[in-house]
Amino acid sequence: MTTTDISNTDAPAARGGSAAPVPSSRRGSAGRRTGSLRGGAAPYAFIAPFYVLYVLFMIIPILAALVLSLTEWVGLGMPRFIGLSNYANLATDSSFATALANSLVYTLVAVIIVVPCALLIAQGLNAKGLRMRDLFRVAFFVPMVLSPIVIALIYSLIFDRDYGLLNASLDALFGLPHVDWLGDPTLAKGAIGFVLLWRTVGYLTIFFLAALQNVPAEQYEAAALDGAGRVRTFLAVTVPGIKPISAFVIVTSFIGAAQLFDEPYLLTKGGPGEATISVAMFIYRAAFERQQFGYAAAAGVVLFIIVFAVSQGLNRLLGIGRDS
Amino acid sequence: MSTIDAASASPAPTAPPGRRAERQKSPRRFRVRRGLLYLTLCALLVVFILPLVWALSGSFKQRGDIFATPPSLIPSPATLENYRNLLTTQPFWSWFAISIGTAAIATVVSVFVCAMAGYGFAKFRFRGKRILFAVMFSSLSIPFAVILIPLFILVVKSGLANPWFALIVPWVAPAFGIFMMQQFIVQAIPDELLESARIDGSSEFGTFRRVVLPLLRPSLGALGVWSFLQSYNSFMWPLVIISNTSQYTLPLGLNILYASENRSYDLVLAGAVLASIPTILVFILLRRQLLEGLVAGAVKG
Repeated sequence: MTTTDISNTDAPAARGGSAAPVPSSRRGSAGRRTGSLRGGAAPYAFIAPFYVLYVLFMIIPILAALVLSLTEWVGLGMPRFIGLSNYANLATDSSFATALANSLVYTLVAVIIVVPCALLIAQGLNAKGLRMRDLFRVAFFVPMVLSPIVIALIYSLIFDRDYGLLNASLDALFGLPHVDWLGDPTLAKGAIGFVLLWRTVGYLTIFFLAALQNVPAEQYEAAALDGAGRVRTFLAVTVPGIKPISAFVIVTSFIGAAQLFDEPYLLTKGGPGEATISVAMFIYRAAFERQQFGYAAAAGVVLFIIVFAVSQGLNRLLGIGRDS
Repeated sequence: MSTIDAASASPAPTAPPGRRAERQKSPRRFRVRRGLLYLTLCALLVVFILPLVWALSGSFKQRGDIFATPPSLIPSPATLENYRNLLTTQPFWSWFAISIGTAAIATVVSVFVCAMAGYGFAKFRFRGKRILFAVMFSSLSIPFAVILIPLFILVVKSGLANPWFALIVPWVAPAFGIFMMQQFIVQAIPDELLESARIDGSSEFGTFRRVVLPLLRPSLGALGVWSFLQSYNSFMWPLVIISNTSQYTLPLGLNILYASENRSYDLVLAGAVLASIPTILVFILLRRQLLEGLVAGAVKG
């Protein structure tokens, strides 16, 4: 992909109000043609502040997490070295297994349900001559600018068994009995999945819409001339055209959902029982409710390894960061 | 809310002039399809906006009316009592000040750091660039939960648990922001401009400050808004780092109202509305600034 492509893909994304970069061949744009100036020490001076902060608040904490994960520490006194015991304990901890399984569900919801929904909505919004495109775009995006606590409390009012809007509406409209949305293990997971969808789908739609608007119209005309049907056109023109942004959307959705904390913590406190606890919540509980800092750090390292490995795999699979 | 009325009032599938050709091809099918599209989009609009409208209306309802059956969207009687109670019985302004203040500092720092690094990556060739870029890129796949505990220990043990410092720490160097800046700089700043500044004897940093930053202003606004939202809306980090209730941020403040025994939903809804005002305002600003950036980029690029 050339630099011209980059500026093209970038522009509609920016107009869409998304504040994220568009990931068209990053390594390429960084490494190949764009850097034209030779500045001696200057470029290092420009990137230095980032790397200083990065080392201080990212690299050092990660190394510290690795060391801490090999110790037993309650937050006071000196950590006691215990080797890999924390990891051995995690392997047999049923709470951790539940947390991992739940986080897997959240990532699947994000990648298999939310991302395709966003693409569908973007397709709809991309229809030629659509009126009020901007209104829809803004309305779908608004949840993303709200605080998770605000969203959680609105939805706790909606899902409430006795007084909630959802049950009240279902009762008033169809006379249905009240359902305990947040009190049933399966329904609670579904409710959290729905809130995740509600909060993120509009944001992702912005990316897809930008990508779709960037697919050259001539390609669609060519496909139409060739007599390609809808499915054919989608597979042969749309999918390749939006691939870089889709890859980015999939990877960031995965990473976001893998570390989901706010929704389970606020909406269900991880319950009923541990039915909705996520890995991030498991880490939080171990550290800040039970003072098992070493154990929590080990769980963090496991999460890190999984997320890092999967996202690198996805990057490779989807071709992020490749030169062409 | 006027947006909803405007949306649902005109789902009529009147095709704009550009669609004449297609209309002639199969006017009925097209119109049906267009109608279905508007219907679906408006249904989605309701799903997205209804909870917010309902919460907004709830914040003006008397406590007992919030859960009235059947639920209503129009508060009757409407009252400002919830807002008055929130502002008089809770340290709302203190939460607000800490949230806004720390988010503002984090925003300024991160915008500056990202603009500098983005410029370094966009406009220079230097040894180690590929590997440094790859290192930054991979930091996107580091979950915050991993560094949560060491960062907590670092901040607490180093005596830096002053909220003004602690609350900005996770947001000052987002790799995300660097990509954004790099893309904008490649697009909006021609090399020739930098060359000529150099020929005029401008120092490297002088060029950055006097030439690059002014041209980047709309994009800086966009990044700024993104950074602001990240910090202002954050919940997990303030939750672990702030233990003193007098230093609570807005999300923590709302959380204690919400998690309290009697669930003061009246106060909570009023607080939610007030807390959302800055982010929604800031979002409106983001849109305008981004459009300007686009126009500027298109003219010069």
